[in-house]
Amino acid sequence: MNDATSLQRDTTLAKPAAPNGNLWYRLGTALAKGPAPLYLPAALFLLAFFIVPLGYVLVMSVTEPKAGLGNFTYLLSSRHFFGVLLETFKTAAIVTLCSVLLGYPLAYLAAGPARRLGGVLLAIIALSFWTSFLVRTYAWMVIFGRQGPLSQLLATLGWTPPPKMLFTSFSATVAMTHAMVPFMVMAMYAVMKRIDARYVRAAQSLGAHPLRAFTTVYLPLSLPGVVNGCTLVFITCLGFYVMPVLLGSPNQQMISGVIGDQIEQVLDFGAASAMSVILLVITVALFWLYHRFIGLDRLWRK
Amino acid sequence: MRTLTFLATLIALFIAVPLLIVVPMSFSANASLQFPPSAYWLGNYRHFFSDINWMQPLFNSLAIGAATVVLTLLLAIPASFALVRHHFVGRGAFNLLLMLPMIVPQIVMALGYYMYFGSLGLTQSFTGIIIAHTCLGIPVATLIITAALKSFDNNLERAASSLGATPLATFRLVTFPVLRPAVLVAALFSFIQSFDETVIAVFISGRDTATLPRQMFNSFRMEADPVISAASSFLFIMVLACMLVPLAARLTKRATRGSLPAQVAH
Repeated sequence: MNDATSLQRDTTLAKPAAPNGNLWYRLGTALAKGPAPLYLPAALFLLAFFIVPLGYVLVMSVTEPKAGLGNFTYLLSSRHFFGVLLETFKTAAIVTLCSVLLGYPLAYLAAGPARRLGGVLLAIIALSFWTSFLVRTYAWMVIFGRQGPLSQLLATLGWTPPPKMLFTSFSATVAMTHAMVPFMVMAMYAVMKRIDARYVRAAQSLGAHPLRAFTTVYLPLSLPGVVNGCTLVFITCLGFYVMPVLLGSPNQQMISGVIGDQIEQVLDFGAASAMSVILLVITVALFWLYHRFIGLDRLWRK
Repeated sequence: MRTLTFLATLIALFIAVPLLIVVPMSFSANASLQFPPSAYWLGNYRHFFSDINWMQPLFNSLAIGAATVVLTLLLAIPASFALVRHHFVGRGAFNLLLMLPMIVPQIVMALGYYMYFGSLGLTQSFTGIIIAHTCLGIPVATLIITAALKSFDNNLERAASSLGATPLATFRLVTFPVLRPAVLVAALFSFIQSFDETVIAVFISGRDTATLPRQMFNSFRMEADPVISAASSFLFIMVLACMLVPLAARLTKRATRGSLPAQVAH
């Protein structure tokens, strides 16, 4: 209603400049009045340079090499691809679990009781967070390398020859955990910082053992942060490319690495697209589940 | 409590020590990844800073990062204003569209850009990488700027315009200065995102437009080039410096503030 009247007012005003009430001119002035000039550039840019390339992947997955769902039926019945999916989920789950276990104490101390130590912990987390993934990858290459400190330590402890650690799923998992702990800590810290310390003190003053006060009061209050962190880390791990490719085993690849091989070596864009669609569907489904039960905006509201 | 502190210290060491190992490695004179190195020299840095195969990607990355920041801000700032201050048809869809680049895995987009830019003739071009990095930068930039806009006191703008300021002057003198910190943070985030982005750059940038992450990624894969230790250490020290400089500035400020009254008394 309101829009219609403003449109009319615009045309009467615009008459001298645009005789005949040129439709495009009217549309233009109507849009210029509203927020369209603010959102259209970003919307058009993302449509042209994000949605269209994404559409290429969707289309290629059902048209290459020939139209139909052939790529999907092949992949979903392939034991090799099933193994890749399993490896991806397994690695993502292990990394998520390890980074919760390592991140929780850090976030707890940083958010609550130890102020001085907390500051130092946060600084270390930030340092790691801002350091390039490739730099961290390099560090783990040195550590797990044949002549690295870990091999030497194991050799002096009597494990000769020291086990091969680099280019196994073990080295990739450790490196990914190391990379994900900062994300986990930040997600949990954001929630823990808002927990009122008096609740725990109240529980203790009413006779609860400190451990019991923690498990029945603090832990449930901090759970939203744990869920946020786990969702973020798990989804990030599913699509992780750099570390699994550079540090992991070529025989136990994760899905991103297999997609990369299809693009670079096999040049099979149909298979690569179909795998990408599967990865995308899993990722979006997880986000949707999270949104459905917890709310997507919680994830980003810091 | 004591065991917890001990535990947290161990975990913090697990986070910090691998990063710190990068610095001594960069001075290693060994060709292989031996740690601790048997001899030290500065040759890795000399190679890094004199080899065109490393310097070109470094400058490419800086240029691509700068262009990405400008383009991201030009798109994200107006989009944030539309989201926070206006209601329009499709606002929810627009919000989802802005966040989508954060959700879609990067390898999926690498494949998409590889095929799409191939058909547009944009593979191995700066334009292609800048466009891709801008898409990736928009979600975080929008989140940061909308957060700042939501807490913006609209009375400031009303006061300005009631005192006779034109809309443009209000924006220039009132709105933008209040938003400036958020815009700077958004700029920083999109620069780092671009400077650090590896997956898409590996697939769509060519030899001449290689970014530093692409060059590092490829030399990891091809050979154990010792120069990579200098590149890694250089990047790490940059981050460390960026964190330490504000800290040092704050400490000196506190120190001088403490001594200022004493000087006045003299």
